[in-house]
Order: sequence, then structure tokens, then C-alpha cells
Amino acid sequence: MHDGRRTRPVLIVLLIAAIALITLDFRDAGSSPAHAIGADVFGPVERTASAVASPFESLFRTASGRDSSEIASLQKQNDQLRAQLAQNKVTNEEQAQLSQLLRLTNASHYRVVAATVIAAGGAYSDTVTIDAGTRAGITTNETVLNGDGLVGTVTAATGSSATVQLATDAAATIGVRMDGTNEIGAVTGTGSTLGAAQQLKLTLFSATAVLQPGQTVVTFGSVGGRPYVPGVPVGLVTQVTSQPGALTQTALVQPFADFTGLGVLGVVVSK
Amino acid sequence: MTALRRIAQALAIPAVLLLAVTLQLALVNRAPLPGGATPDLVLLAVAAIAVCTGPMTGMLAGFCGGLALDIAPPAAHLAGEYALVFCLVGYACGRVRNAITYSTGEQTMITSLTVVALGVAAGEAGKAAMGMMLSDPNVTSPAIKHVLPAAIIYDLLLCPFAYWLISLVLRRPAPERAPRPEFAQVATAFRAASAGALGAVPPLRLAGSTRPPARPPVRQEPKLRLSAGRPSSLSGTSSAFSPAKPPLVGGRAVKLNFAEHTAGTVAPQPRQRSSPGKGWLRARPTAGAPVLKHRPPPKGWLRASRPAGAAPLRRRSPGKGWLRAARPAGTPAMQSGSPPKGWLHADRPRRPAGTAALSRKSPGRGWLRPAKPVPPARLKKPGRGWLRPARPAKLSWYAKSRSSQWVRRSNSPWRSRRRRLLALVGVRR
Repeated sequence: MHDGRRTRPVLIVLLIAAIALITLDFRDAGSSPAHAIGADVFGPVERTASAVASPFESLFRTASGRDSSEIASLQKQNDQLRAQLAQNKVTNEEQAQLSQLLRLTNASHYRVVAATVIAAGGAYSDTVTIDAGTRAGITTNETVLNGDGLVGTVTAATGSSATVQLATDAAATIGVRMDGTNEIGAVTGTGSTLGAAQQLKLTLFSATAVLQPGQTVVTFGSVGGRPYVPGVPVGLVTQVTSQPGALTQTALVQPFADFTGLGVLGVVVSK
Repeated sequence: MTALRRIAQALAIPAVLLLAVTLQLALVNRAPLPGGATPDLVLLAVAAIAVCTGPMTGMLAGFCGGLALDIAPPAAHLAGEYALVFCLVGYACGRVRNAITYSTGEQTMITSLTVVALGVAAGEAGKAAMGMMLSDPNVTSPAIKHVLPAAIIYDLLLCPFAYWLISLVLRRPAPERAPRPEFAQVATAFRAASAGALGAVPPLRLAGSTRPPARPPVRQEPKLRLSAGRPSSLSGTSSAFSPAKPPLVGGRAVKLNFAEHTAGTVAPQPRQRSSPGKGWLRARPTAGAPVLKHRPPPKGWLRASRPAGAAPLRRRSPGKGWLRAARPAGTPAMQSGSPPKGWLHADRPRRPAGTAALSRKSPGRGWLRPAKPVPPARLKKPGRGWLRPARPAKLSWYAKSRSSQWVRRSNSPWRSRRRRLLALVGVRR
């Protein structure tokens, strides 16, 4: 509280420390040990706070049009069924093609771990923290979904908590295919660039593919199911935005999942 | 009691920060607020803490709060971004609050709230700027256009509440340092005067008439002229050695240091000896200014027997006869351009005559040096103390210069304004 001669040296030391932290984290591409320490320290705090704040949370969910009487166990069951359904929707033929192409492992190798959102990131980033971590079998680059559709992927996991990058985050890119036509493309999050509207941007790789509003977009799948397992519904095409003469076709996709009222999530972990 | 208070406060600040971080992550960020933005409780808490305590506590709180936001799990930005921004915000808020407190002598709710609001807005902008600078894929210009105004509006809405809460927690029984007495006096007098404007008027305005003025007016100095009154003043020797101060044409007395040094009768002023403050040049009427800029002296500077060439600045175009009257007719030495021998020695006795004669034509750099005693310590180590403030921490809005007395000593316009103001409110200096 004494503001005398020491103020300026302390300020300089603090600024240098902050710049050093930024530099280290920049070098490690955002995965420096500082984040692990923070997760260990603040994970339990957030869990407690989320438990305390659950009435408010349900209030928010009611305000955002969700049924507050949703029971977590039902939702978990629903998630598991949805995941199985998503796996079953991939036909045998496609399954053979995909596994031939991507050496995708069989759908029976997956199980779903249910977790609850306990914290969310700031105004710019679309990330949430869930209350399950490596002790529940969750590792990084695993698909996260809920009863409606794809939610995102795990970017960091500690013992008791994990960070999920939502599909709407501007840094997220998901390989997708159109349900029915099997045209492949990529979906990118728009972050906050569209304001509060949580929409995704779809880019089809084929210039001749038919793209029209109302088509369903599902995940294409990645090698080993990381970071995205195939067949998870992502959203509906709402608006085609491709320019005439452009090499690729673009569209806006309204995701199935409601990203403002996330509650219970399922993480697809490998057995 | 005070020790307990102190401990309670020291514990309260981290508790407040932790509460703010937790609420921000677990509750506020998840609230589906319109506009796609959320208020930043940690930033609000840091700004309010800085305004309630000071820059040191403010920047420490800012660093810790920002670092907590940086490394707490769902954070997607680089660690240290918010720590840097919040640290600067805390420091700036504390500094501005201190400056306002010491210059006005009081701390009102409105000014504190304004400082908090400005700090919070600057912090939001700083967050966006940091993200842009580090090429965060989420922080692009369209995203900032959407998020930043909404975030600032939410912060400003929560600003009074946050400040009220923090000031409740960190309430202090008394301000840490009393404001400077003169400003407190001025403020009290102004308040009394403005209150008395409606009712009973304290006899503040008459104070100047009842008391003798702080300094005798300059016009009361005996008017000394260069002209025929002193025909022997041609040789600078006599004027330099004379105890009477050399006059200016405008009638103001000139205080020339080298005259005092060489005279030997006047003791050198210890203040000017030890450290020539900022106003060392202004303390005498801008005599050396043209010489320091290496301008050639005006034409008559040698003949006029003025020891420092002070008059040419005061009177840029002297009257026609003023030079001749000061000089007895028919001095061939002056007209030929070689001064009498004793002239330079009288002015600058430490220099040999040869150098002096050289500098007569175009005065070199050090020709005024005896008048400007520079302490050797200052010359030897000019670069020390760059980290520390040059003065002991006596902060006030006007004392940011090398010497806190510069307003009193110098000829700056603020000196007369200040004197008038003090005389107006009846404070005698």
C-alpha cells in the first residue's frame, strides 16, 4: 500500500514477467506448463463454484429456452444412444471405404464418458471446461458431443478436468461430408465475428457439388477417430454464400447443438 | 486495531480476486447475454482495487488477477496476456487516483468512478489489442467490432456496483497521506468563499490589502540607468565590482552570478551552488539564452559595458542614444574593437586573458561558465537512478520537475498565477 520509490521497479518486473510468460506460451503454442498448473489449481475451484452456482445455471438454461427438468442420467443415456446411432448411420459400404481410407477403427472401440460443463472461456474464445479428465479416460483430441450433435474436441486434459474447444471457435476446423451426397468439405467456426449468432462456415472442396439449404452436415472422421469420429451430425445448411465462379462452394451451417446452454456433454473415448 | 485492519485488508484483496475469477469463469461467461459479450469482473475488481488503494496494490492485483484468468482451464489465449494488460490498468488507475487526490486534496465518488470506468474501458481495449497483436484466431477485427462495445457497456453498467463493493471491503479510516497543506488551504478557502457568496462573506478578498504583499513590486526598485548618470560605467570593471546590481533597461534588477562571485562581498547562494534547479536560467532575466544558442551577440554588446549582454534580449531594439550616452565620448579603444584590459578580467577572473580575448569575437560554449556553477557530482554520474524517481516520493501535480520548488523560484507564468491565486484567497506565503 505504500506507493513510493518501489512502484516503478515492481511494475517493470511484473511487465517483464508477463512478457516472458507470453513468450514461453507462444513458443509452446499455448500449451506451456502454466496452463497445466492453472488447471490443477482452478479446476477444483471451478467445480465447487459450478456446484454452488447450479441454480443460476438452470436459470440461464431456462432463459435460453431449455427444459430445466432435464435429468443428467437421461441425458447421458441419450448421448450414448445418439453416439451409437451416429456410428450405425455410417453404412457398411461407407464404413469399408472409410476404414480403407482412414484406417478407421471399428465403432465398437468407442465408449462415451459423460461430463458436465463447469466453466466457460471469455468473450472472444469459445471454450468450456468439463468436470472429467484423464482419470475418467479422457485425453486430448477426443470428440465431444451432446444429445443434439457435435460440440467440439478436447484440447487439454488434466486429472479432474478437461478443456473443450467448441466447434464454433474460430480456431476449430472440422472435416465434414454432406449427408446423402457424400461430398466432403470442412467446417470452420466463426467465433464472435457474427456477434451472438453461433454459426459455422462450410467450405465444400468440389466446385460442382450440389449445395442447398436444408442439407445435413455430418463429420467425416479423422485418423483413429481423433480429433473427430465419423458420422456425428454437425448442423443444417441455412444459407449458401458461394460466389459464382469461385473454386469452392461455401455456406453457413446452423449447428444442432445449442452452444450457449451447454450442460451435460459426452466425450467419445477409445476403449 | 489498525494491524488487524491491515491484515484483514491484505487477505481481502486476494479473496476478492479469487471470487471474481471464479464468478467470471463459472457463471458470467456461461450466461447467454445479448451481444455475445460478457462483463469482465476481474478487470472491474482490479480497477476498483487500484482506485481504492494505490498503484502498487493495483498493479499487483492486476497481475495476479490477470494471470489467474490466463491459466484457469478454459482459457484459450496465451498465458500472460491478461496479466500484462491488467497490471498496466491497475498501475494507471492507482497513479491517476493519486494525482487527483494530491492535486485537489480530496477524493470524491465521481472522480473515482470515472477513473474506474476509464480504466475498465482501456483494459477491454487492451485485451483486444493483445489478442490482435499475438494473432489469436478468435480475436479478429470483426470479432472485436462485435464484442468490444458490448463488453465495455456491460463493464460500465457494473462499474458503480463493483466500486461500491470494493470500497466497502477496503474501507480505510483515514487517507494514507494528507494532501499538501497549501492546496488544502486553497480548497478550504475556495469552499468558504463560494459558500459565503450567498451569505456571510469572510474577509478573504481584503486580505491582500491589509497584509503587505509577499514581494515588493519590481517597480519599486531604484531606477538605474546606463546613461550619463554613470559616465565611468564604460569599463565593465566598475559595474561588475559595484555592489549595486546592474540594472536592466526595463528597470528590473538583474541578478548575475558572476558579478557576485567576483565581487567577493556577496556570499554565493548555497542553493544555486549545490544544484542549479530547473529555473536556474529563468532566475535571472534570460541573459544567457542567446549565448547558449551560439548566436553572435548583438552589435553593441561589448561597448555597452553590460556584463552579460543581458540588455539585448530585454530590449531588442534599443533607442538610438542609449549606447552613446553610456559611453564617454571619444574612447578610441571601443571603436577599434579592442576593449580595455581590465574589462574581461573583471568579468571572468578565472580565465586567462588570451582565451577571453578569443571568445570576445564569438563567445564560445563556456564563456558564461563562472555564472553557472555545475556540481561535479551531477556531471560525473548522469545516468544513475534511472529506475528510481529522481525525487523522494513527494508527489504533486506541479512538482514533477527536478526541484519541487521550481514554481516558487522561477519566472514561470505559473508563479505569478499562483501568487495571485493565493493572494486572492488570503493565503500568505
